[in-house]
Amino acid sequence: MLTVTGVTKRYGKLNAIENVDFSLAAGKVLAVIGPNGAGKTTLIKCLLGLVRFDGTVLVDGIDVGRDGHRARAKIGYLPQNPAFHADLTVAETALFYADLKSVSASRAHDGVTAVGLADHAHKKVGELSGGMRQRLGLAVAMLADPPLLILDEPATGLDMSARLELRRLVAEQRTSNHAVLLSTHWLEDVPYIADDVLALDRGKSVFFGSTKDSVAVTASASQLYIRVDGENTHAVELVKHVAPESVVTVMGDWIIVSCLASEKAKIVEHLVVAAIKVLDIRVEEAVSGQATFTLPTQVDGR
Amino acid sequence: MHPIMVIFRKEVRDAVRSRWMVVFALTFGIVALVLSLVQASSDNISVQGFNRTTAALTNLSLLLVPLLAFVIGAGAIAGERERGTWTMLLSQPITVRQLMIGKFAGLVVAIWATIALGFGGAGMVVALVSPITDVGHYVMFSALSAILAAATLSIGMLISVFSDGRLKALSQAMVVWFVLVVLYDLAAVGLALTFSASGRSLLIAVLANPVECVRIFFIMSLEPDVDVLGPLGSYVINEVGRGTAISLIAGVLVLWIVIPLTVAISVARNHDA
Repeated sequence: MLTVTGVTKRYGKLNAIENVDFSLAAGKVLAVIGPNGAGKTTLIKCLLGLVRFDGTVLVDGIDVGRDGHRARAKIGYLPQNPAFHADLTVAETALFYADLKSVSASRAHDGVTAVGLADHAHKKVGELSGGMRQRLGLAVAMLADPPLLILDEPATGLDMSARLELRRLVAEQRTSNHAVLLSTHWLEDVPYIADDVLALDRGKSVFFGSTKDSVAVTASASQLYIRVDGENTHAVELVKHVAPESVVTVMGDWIIVSCLASEKAKIVEHLVVAAIKVLDIRVEEAVSGQATFTLPTQVDGR
Repeated sequence: MHPIMVIFRKEVRDAVRSRWMVVFALTFGIVALVLSLVQASSDNISVQGFNRTTAALTNLSLLLVPLLAFVIGAGAIAGERERGTWTMLLSQPITVRQLMIGKFAGLVVAIWATIALGFGGAGMVVALVSPITDVGHYVMFSALSAILAAATLSIGMLISVFSDGRLKALSQAMVVWFVLVVLYDLAAVGLALTFSASGRSLLIAVLANPVECVRIFFIMSLEPDVDVLGPLGSYVINEVGRGTAISLIAGVLVLWIVIPLTVAISVARNHDA
């Protein structure tokens, strides 16, 4: 469905994307990960033909560089911050994009309903919250039932239930034999969503392969803040025992644990079982900028 | 529906909804009406009076129509870029060329409608006061205003693709408007008097400015001896003659519509979204 060969994008002397190769088959989900500034959005702009680049991008065999508008007819795109004309209503926006994609008005109406915006159909886009605009963006991206869906940081600004909904949507696309490419710096979502991972660092591809082969990439650190009743000493010892790889520090009343995301629940469970009264818990999920990449397969440094 | 038509419809609908169309139509109408009624009373509503009224309206049109078209054109692309909607539009199955032609067509129709409402409404009121014996010139005036709108909108859009912000585009458009509409005629005459320019160089000076092209075209459609339309026009009529100039100016006016828009499309194509 998507074949990317030697894509390079330069801004002056800076290589925003450098010689990136990958492919994505129908029915597969690819997560593009990397810290902020790694080149994820620039790569997506290359895939859409929104910027001039060197190399080749084929969408279902159509060359984006030569025939961008035909290739884009096969792509549904959700930008990180969808920008719509503020003075159009939700329904008018969906209709306008449906016309551009040669999709019927009833399909536009169904799309608005599917993302839960039917009650806001006559509201102007300028009056929508960020989350609602994101949902409208998703409705627009999926209007033509595209065989390739490109989502740029779709989880940004979403609460946990919306993130779970996003996972369901991506799974549905996979089931429908559609390809999905999504960029994210939230690594915790990756094992649940993606079949393959492309890791970018300063515009270079540092890993491309199966999610299963990249546990070290996606099993990122979380920051777990725990406040317990009474002495911290016993709790700290227990945490170190349960998660020996973690880094534990104490700051005032709080025990701060840097651990694998998958170990959070286990730590809390052991504290409760040990009859340590947990007064408060806070979690900061690591983003890929904070995670340490330990890649199983190092791409040849391109 | 063809993508150009989709964009065209949106631009027309946006213009109808927004206030600029109403504000400009009212401004055109009121100023034209006042000017016409003053002219009519001073001429005792004579046949020549309507002719003079049309000539005066042309001078008004040469000031206001480019102003409107430059402002609208300058905001067209730079505004979309600033709001982020340009990228959103170009991520759809549409080319830059289709998007810009659709925008140009929608905006030019909206401006024509504004001119028709403003000057047309004023014309109808004038017709009630004064017997119309000079409809042909009034129609010519309207058609030339429409052509001028298209040419200056095209230049406005060219300014817009080069600008990285709406405000910057608008201020650049204002400078271009001042140079082409206000400064040009005076500067050309000054140069002509200083260097005793030939008819050929004066004709080139006229062709290099779409506003001057329209002005001279209208002089020729009225009477060559009408002196209210500016000194540069009189020079050209005297030096080159009516027949040679008229077809050349008509062709050049078409180029003034096509070339800036074509260059704007080419620039936008090579500009990262």
